[in-house]
Amino acid sequence: MKMKIYLIGNPNVGKSVIFSRLTGLQVMSSNYPGTTVEISRGYLKLGNDRIEVIDLPGTYSLESTSPAEEVAVSLLKENPKNDSIVINILDATNLERNLLLTLQLLESGFRVIICLNMIDEAVHRGVHIDTAKLEEIFHIPVVPTCAITGTGVKILIARIQEAACSHRSNLSHEERWQEIGKIIETVQHLEHRHHSLREMVEDASVRPLSGLLIASGVMYSSFKIVRFTGEFIINKITDPFFFNLYQPFLEKLTVSLKEEGFLFHLLIGDLINGKIDFKQSLGVLTTAPYIEFGMVLPYVISFYFILSLLEDIGYLPRLAVLLDNLLHRLGLHGFAVIPLLLGFGCNVPGILATRVLESKRERFIAATLISIGVPCVPLQAMIFGLLGSFSGLYVGGVYLVLFLVVIILGMILNRMLGGYSPEFLMEIPSYRFPPVQMIARKLYFRIKGFLIEAVPVVLIGVAAVNILLYLRLFDFITGIFAPVISGILGLPQESMVALLIGFIRKDVAVGMLMPLGLTAKQLFISTALLAMSFPCVATFIILWKELGFKDMIKSTLLMICISFMIGAGLNFLMRW
Amino acid sequence: MKKISLTHMKPNHKGTVLEIAGGLNLENKLAGMGIYKGKDIIKLSHIGLQGPVVIKSGRSIIALGHGIAAKIIIGIE
Repeated sequence: MKMKIYLIGNPNVGKSVIFSRLTGLQVMSSNYPGTTVEISRGYLKLGNDRIEVIDLPGTYSLESTSPAEEVAVSLLKENPKNDSIVINILDATNLERNLLLTLQLLESGFRVIICLNMIDEAVHRGVHIDTAKLEEIFHIPVVPTCAITGTGVKILIARIQEAACSHRSNLSHEERWQEIGKIIETVQHLEHRHHSLREMVEDASVRPLSGLLIASGVMYSSFKIVRFTGEFIINKITDPFFFNLYQPFLEKLTVSLKEEGFLFHLLIGDLINGKIDFKQSLGVLTTAPYIEFGMVLPYVISFYFILSLLEDIGYLPRLAVLLDNLLHRLGLHGFAVIPLLLGFGCNVPGILATRVLESKRERFIAATLISIGVPCVPLQAMIFGLLGSFSGLYVGGVYLVLFLVVIILGMILNRMLGGYSPEFLMEIPSYRFPPVQMIARKLYFRIKGFLIEAVPVVLIGVAAVNILLYLRLFDFITGIFAPVISGILGLPQESMVALLIGFIRKDVAVGMLMPLGLTAKQLFISTALLAMSFPCVATFIILWKELGFKDMIKSTLLMICISFMIGAGLNFLMRW
Repeated sequence: MKKISLTHMKPNHKGTVLEIAGGLNLENKLAGMGIYKGKDIIKLSHIGLQGPVVIKSGRSIIALGHGIAAKIIIGIE
């Protein structure tokens, strides 16, 4: 019989950090409820055995109320109880609320071991828990841990086999809370503390006036830091590398290829004024690496640095509270701000995060709005790099157009779609100050993910385009679409190639626009179009998986129609 | 004791949950988060007119959409 270990607990108690500690696998963790929407599996070596460890999405009770919770509860219930051990992870700073799930688990007859996580934080806040007494009450092991630093995890592993059933009769919710009240009185001792500065800031960030002030400050400085760090990396690291070290090497290669032939066109591309131009040559060794490493990667680093920081501090749920009102008009609620923000990094994790939303209707609206109006970092980096050289106003213009599209489309979808959008209900975590290694590890993890996903696609994409261009196969397609592209959108017909490439990767698509010598207006329209139209193939697949075939088609048709309408509209409006 | 809905309660005031008038499903969901009949809570803030309400219940801070808050009846002194 195969033994399995399940990690279960309320949202945001640190299940994923414990999981990483037990299995050595890195999974995403943040300071907000609902980071884990998928089930992660890994292995723990216990003596000579390898035992499967399963990290479940957080749940408040065994009566599931959202799809993510349902996954956790059904998986737990379908497994025979004698082959599984449940590690019930509790937030020691909030023992009372966490014990409800513990009681339910014990009532259902699972073999349970309690992991009392964030014990350091609890002590720091004057919460003292008598673990020995807690063990006595439940007759199961209770191990205090601090997952972030790893304290107590060894003891937890050593005691896993001691997990036991504690036969308790089934209670109603009310009876359970009474029971919990009694338990808390005997095991928990609270030191009286004055309101700390942290608590005052926590409160201020969810009050209407101070909250909005703090939110504007946080958003403004985040944006500034992302730009500053990104530009710093470009100016001090990547550009010097490309121009001083890499270019001389490519020039030697150019000479040895004699500036002609298929291989030259594939690797180097075209020479601009007799020289290699990283932005315009369009070769597999020139423009392709420059787009990914010289233009996009610096911003990927700076964006994910700030996002990880905001996530781990626990600011995002507060932003969700403040924006709940606005998002209601779009048929969503406050929590949707988290998938939307994640979408700014890459649409794929953004759409995955919509799983925490309860209704199908909400998930459809959120996924569609993300794929239409939320440009990912690679695309944004290219928009800044290209359009920014004309004027910041154009860059702002693209964002304004996208923002308006999101608002208007959201309002329309909210009116038109059947079904229901449930209300906002979310626990707001305390601010935590994550150790630097945590942020660094998360950043490393995300950047690695980006590189693995992007680099091969970009290289193959650019190679494929070069081959098609060399064989003049695009001429046929551009010929067909020419009336639409130049007549209605006011773009040169060659830009059709870029719009098509947008399906592969948006950053490469904008890269394809670089050699065309577009005017600021044309660039403005085409980047806005690229942002809104067809999602890239990775997003497309995830839309299909999350929404189902029918809704994916609906969502895609919406994107194509709207981007075309907006493109035509902008072309018409900007004639003067 | 006066009975009012959570939306009408003033920020920074204390009260006791008397009733959750939103069906068993909502009642269970809130109970899971530690909001149940007889629980003492403090209302922290209310964002805008139709916006969410933030309360402190035990050691947790919980944000509730306006619609949910309207269904929670609080008893205040």
